[in-house]
Amino acid sequence: MSALTGSTTRLDGAVRTPAFAPPGMVRNIMTVAVRELRDAVRARWFVLYTLAFAVLGLGISYVSAVGAGGVGLSGFGRTAAGLINLVLLVVPLMALTAGAGSIASDRERGMLAYLLAQPVSRTEVLLGKYVGLAGALLACICLGLGACASVLAWKGDATHPASLVWLAAMSFLLALGMLGTGMLLSVMARKASVATGTAVFLWLCLVFVTDLGLMAGTMAFHLRIEELFALSLASPLQVFKMWSLHAVDSSLDVLGPAALYAVEEHGGSLHLIFAACMTAWIVVPLGCAAVIFSRRRIT
Amino acid sequence: MNRITAILLAGASVAICVAGVRASAQPAESHEAPVLGVSSLGDAAMGEIGRRIASAPKGSTVEIGPGVYRERIRIDRALTLVGTGSPVIDGEGSGDIIEITAPGVTIRGFTIRNTGISLDKENVAIRVLAARATIENNVLDDVLFGIDLREAPDSVVRNNRIGGKELDIARRGDGLRLWRSDNVLVEGNHFHDGRDAILWYSKGVVVRGNSAIDCRYGLHLMFSDDVRIEGNELARNSVGLYLMYSTGVEIIGNRFLQNRGPSGYGIGLKETDRFTVRDNVIAANRVGVYIDGSPFTTAQPGLFTRNTVAYNDIGFAFLPSARGNELTENNFIDNIDQVSVSGRGDLSANRFWSGDIGNYWSDYTGYDQNEDGIGDFVHESQTLFENMMDKEPKLRLFLFSPAQQAIEFVGRVLPAVRPEPKFTDEVPLMAPVEIDAMRRMGAASSRALGGAGVGLLGLGMSVLALARGSGGDRGPRRRSGRNMAEQGS
Repeated sequence: MSALTGSTTRLDGAVRTPAFAPPGMVRNIMTVAVRELRDAVRARWFVLYTLAFAVLGLGISYVSAVGAGGVGLSGFGRTAAGLINLVLLVVPLMALTAGAGSIASDRERGMLAYLLAQPVSRTEVLLGKYVGLAGALLACICLGLGACASVLAWKGDATHPASLVWLAAMSFLLALGMLGTGMLLSVMARKASVATGTAVFLWLCLVFVTDLGLMAGTMAFHLRIEELFALSLASPLQVFKMWSLHAVDSSLDVLGPAALYAVEEHGGSLHLIFAACMTAWIVVPLGCAAVIFSRRRIT
Repeated sequence: MNRITAILLAGASVAICVAGVRASAQPAESHEAPVLGVSSLGDAAMGEIGRRIASAPKGSTVEIGPGVYRERIRIDRALTLVGTGSPVIDGEGSGDIIEITAPGVTIRGFTIRNTGISLDKENVAIRVLAARATIENNVLDDVLFGIDLREAPDSVVRNNRIGGKELDIARRGDGLRLWRSDNVLVEGNHFHDGRDAILWYSKGVVVRGNSAIDCRYGLHLMFSDDVRIEGNELARNSVGLYLMYSTGVEIIGNRFLQNRGPSGYGIGLKETDRFTVRDNVIAANRVGVYIDGSPFTTAQPGLFTRNTVAYNDIGFAFLPSARGNELTENNFIDNIDQVSVSGRGDLSANRFWSGDIGNYWSDYTGYDQNEDGIGDFVHESQTLFENMMDKEPKLRLFLFSPAQQAIEFVGRVLPAVRPEPKFTDEVPLMAPVEIDAMRRMGAASSRALGGAGVGLLGLGMSVLALARGSGGDRGPRRRSGRNMAEQGS
């Protein structure tokens, strides 16, 4: 309770100076964000996900650095492949469930009505929560991949440092997209459990069902490579993977004919295509969430 | 003073003559194919170096001092032409530069640059049309073709640096070309940004200690028999070494690195016979070794022994027609696809062990209880996704995804969908074989990687610190239970 009074005092400042509407809005968002971030990094889910991500990543890094048999050579081999695989599994799950748990559980406990009784708009609350959770995800990704890079360096692995930094940046973008999607589920769902359950189901779809479906389609309907590439752009996970690889090795030939076609056909604008897809996945769900949230009844 | 004036005058006159000849000759020549063994230099070229050569007796040494010489040179008698103080011979962006028409000529110590760009006329820096030439310690820069040996047996090409033109790969020429030139020694040269270094119909050539970077084919053999390829480094080309229709080739102690692109191979073998591939490092290529119809006959198995094949997208790629290869004591380390066979082919006609010697496989899952260095279980390659990729290369798009692992898992636990083993190694090695070519590679520095790691950790920590710092006085919020994990479990 004392905490809420605390935030009220802060938020009061915004009310007293309505002339500075945009800074006031930013300040409100940041106030909500910092509170959200603080709660998030203390929450059990954050600690568990971060530990799991770091430990699995360290395991992959250690095994691939040592398993090379001390040949002193390294390519963009199993280390990066393993890390990409790990990111694809963990980051969407973490971001989707974090987003799904944010608004819905607040509403269920009546916290949301209380929060919105303060002089903050709904959009500000939503964006504030988004920014706060995004900060927590950023911390998780940086700690996990940073630990991996340190272990790889310690074992004398020659993975290019830029590739790991780039991987971290891409992972964060993926997390942003999935977080917005999770929040969309959260504002739509009636109960927190429904939101979380839907988020896990959506994760399963994105990680397994989409790819397996595309594979089956490729085999069954003999999809042309341009069709296959276009379809795979619909999956944020595929976009993340292709973009991560493309940044490290611009030829992208490791992903076979479809990716080679993409590089030949689009060349330098491939970065723009990936960026557009990623931006769409970040902006559209969050925008929808904001619209729905501003119209829904809060009970 | 007189001499300088003479040089200037000569230079000017040569330039005028060349321009005139080019202008008048161009329309007629453009349809004319170059004729082997016949001079393509034209007669107008006679400059400072040309006059020195014209007045030198057979067998003498002609020394050329520093300076930039804009002229075409023909050497029609056995001479040693030596550049002191690195003189430059500049072709001014047209035609050929040096032509050797007599046996026993040596050219040493020049910088030769700026040929024409006509692929039709095969503009070249040095063309040799006679036997026993020695081309050494030269720098060839911005040249279409570098050194062209046409029917020039027993020649030596040594310690030259040959750089191609900044053109689209299809418009570049060959850094080195041998045409019907037997027993040539090609040693210690460095090729970059060219098309190929290529041997046509040349027997008994030794290619030793060269490097080729950013070319199309680092080294290319066409119908060239009994060639020894030793200690070369072929990196970042489209193909490192491509052998076609050649017999009796030994490939020993070379390094094939990062040869990538749509047809990126470390070593490509097309209908090549009686070959040995030994002690090489083949790493980070799109395909390490690509085997198409080799060995061509049953005279001798294709021998691959003691090679390290690591970090390639595909370690060994066999076309269905490939049969009679024998692989022993090779290290297969972390190739995404260790061995692939395309289409519906199988590998039963190739052997992955011989007697009691197998290979090292980084994906071997067995153990060695009796500690004889050989795994106690047979190594069988039977991963479902690899097989699917071999049949449908488009599926490579799904590499590195959890879905791929799901398929691998299903393949492991459900015998019904488990594929037939692609190949077996009955005596897999437990540890990689040590290889000399490997030892020569410098250890990579990991300091930058460590810096990146620490930087990422620092960023993560500072986000945490931000959260902690701003909320130190808000203890009770910890129990708010707003997050699903706290609530649910």
